[in-house]
Amino acid sequence: MSVPYAVELEGVGKRFLRHADRRNTLKERIVRGRSRTTQDFWAVKDVNVQIPQGSVYGLIGHNGSGKSTLLKLITGIYRPTEGRISAQGRVAALIELGAGFHPDMTGRENIRLNGSILGLSKAEIESAMETIIDFSGLRDFIDDPVKHYSSGMYVRLGFSVAVHMKPDVLLVDEVLAVGDEEFQRKCFDHLYTLRRQGRTIVVVSHGLGQLEGLCDEVAWLDHGTVQEIGPATEVIGSYLHQVNTEEAKANADIAATRDDTTMRAGSGTIRSTGVRLVDEAQNPINHTETGTTFGIEVDLHCYEEVLGPNVRLAFQHETGALVTMMSNHRHGFDFGHIDGERMVTALLTDNPLLPGRYRVHIDIFDHTGSVLIDNWDDALEFTVRSPRGEIGQGFVELPYTYEIT
Amino acid sequence: MIRELYRQRALVAAFANRDFATRYRSSVLGWAWSLLQPLATLLVYAAVFSLVFRIQAPPLGSDPERTNFAAFLFTGMVTFNLFSGLLMLSMTQLKSNGELLRKVHFPAWTPILGASMVQLVQVALEIVVLIAMYLFIGNIGITWLLAVPVLIATAFFGQGIGLMLSVVNARYGDVQYIVQVILQALYFLTPILYPLTLVEGTADWLATMVKANPLTWFVETMHQVMYSLVVPQWWVIPGLLVFGFTVFWAGFTIFNRSSEDIGELL
Repeated sequence: MSVPYAVELEGVGKRFLRHADRRNTLKERIVRGRSRTTQDFWAVKDVNVQIPQGSVYGLIGHNGSGKSTLLKLITGIYRPTEGRISAQGRVAALIELGAGFHPDMTGRENIRLNGSILGLSKAEIESAMETIIDFSGLRDFIDDPVKHYSSGMYVRLGFSVAVHMKPDVLLVDEVLAVGDEEFQRKCFDHLYTLRRQGRTIVVVSHGLGQLEGLCDEVAWLDHGTVQEIGPATEVIGSYLHQVNTEEAKANADIAATRDDTTMRAGSGTIRSTGVRLVDEAQNPINHTETGTTFGIEVDLHCYEEVLGPNVRLAFQHETGALVTMMSNHRHGFDFGHIDGERMVTALLTDNPLLPGRYRVHIDIFDHTGSVLIDNWDDALEFTVRSPRGEIGQGFVELPYTYEIT
Repeated sequence: MIRELYRQRALVAAFANRDFATRYRSSVLGWAWSLLQPLATLLVYAAVFSLVFRIQAPPLGSDPERTNFAAFLFTGMVTFNLFSGLLMLSMTQLKSNGELLRKVHFPAWTPILGASMVQLVQVALEIVVLIAMYLFIGNIGITWLLAVPVLIATAFFGQGIGLMLSVVNARYGDVQYIVQVILQALYFLTPILYPLTLVEGTADWLATMVKANPLTWFVETMHQVMYSLVVPQWWVIPGLLVFGFTVFWAGFTIFNRSSEDIGELL
């Protein structure tokens, strides 16, 4: 037996009219008549999506690709211009947390109001009240007007209300980035719990790592149409590939216009003039994978003969943490006297970096290690992806073996 | 329609609670303020119209020898305020709940009716003052009971028009100002500040306009049962009820049909 669908979209399209000069007042409407210069704009078009019951479904795409419009169509805030949408059971949206909160009312009063708006009966709200308060962690402030809440507290309360409404379909739009680390983790745990209970979750997010771990299936939207639908890792992979390709193009354009070596710190007897990520065969690449071999090539221009410089490459993770610092001195490799145009290659075999984005900063010291010659921050930025599509936790894969006795 | 109204009663109550709780939360005298405005108006109008313009109220029901302009005036005012209060408040509700309506899907008329519930409490306070006035001057009668259906009909009438105009106002924000002006004109085209008999002696077109004004029917009936203490002809009150319900039904239907895209409109 096939799994029933919680949400089904058939040939859904939504058109907005863009008025070049909108007639907002009655006077304008009467005096100048109906606006003639309307332009059609299809926010989404020909979308066919089936979301199985009990699955977690992700929507990805660049800004303005129609993800949020699609969510609003599923909740019923927008009506489709064409096509058909059917949703089974209660649909709750975490589109804008705490949208219905009234600043003058207390947290508790707002829970009641918000619960009613989301379609709960009085009894249902009262029975969930304590759980909601506990989940939000705002027990001490629950009888204060929410206008005294911080924005974080506001959102926490909103999230707590929405997820406790026992929705059959929960729509989540970019709200997982709320609250502190602890609360975020709580939110994720709760989403997993909802999923185990067989509830359907539709997530819109730019946090591709989060989505990859959470979603069964992902739809990739591009300018309002579906590019690809399939298992999360596959679709996210091809989406990333496209983003990387576009970015590489954009980066090449930037690099072509950037010549800022004169602005750098250091004595300047050597300047690093170029840097590339390359594969084993020394072909330039824009991303690499965990476990493969890759290299970083640095072009040096020596203005005079320099004795045994130390060329260091600092790897910084997207979170800001320094992952490692490579240095030829520490490696016991002395370049000797160098002059003219040279190229340094750092080769990494069996790349231990886990998936994520990394930046490389280059600095060059003299042979004593105390005089700075050149310093190039943000020289290179690249993505590491996992060959198997899974998400690693942390920065590096340590060499290890397991045993069981 | 009735089933729909019944099913959403909890939500309407929740909005009513919200508006009730927040209406006068940050003012010291709270609900007393809501009575201050109509009472001040009453005082000024009573003084100007009875002392300066020397308008005579009709004889009181309890004692045909006496008249009381203030009681006559306030009876009309309460009725008119019930209508105009619901109308004006309803009209602005979609805008003030726009934030919510753009983000959550729920019947858009629920915050409107919720706000109206609070307005009804205010009217109830005014009616208490009105009754106190009549008790004070000793003009008491069993016909008072007939005021209940008349007020209900008035409320439905005002609410129906309010629902119709609220969607128009959401689209064209200046509608509420136009309506304000029209209401002001209607106020003087309704026998509130003068008895109906006074217009009958004037130009034909003016008398016709006053009599054709539906609010005149409601206000006049209120004058009859509260001030003159007479029972109107048997068909008057059922007629008003049917009229009020019909307008409400039309307003509700029009609202539901035209508010489907309200989330985009706001």
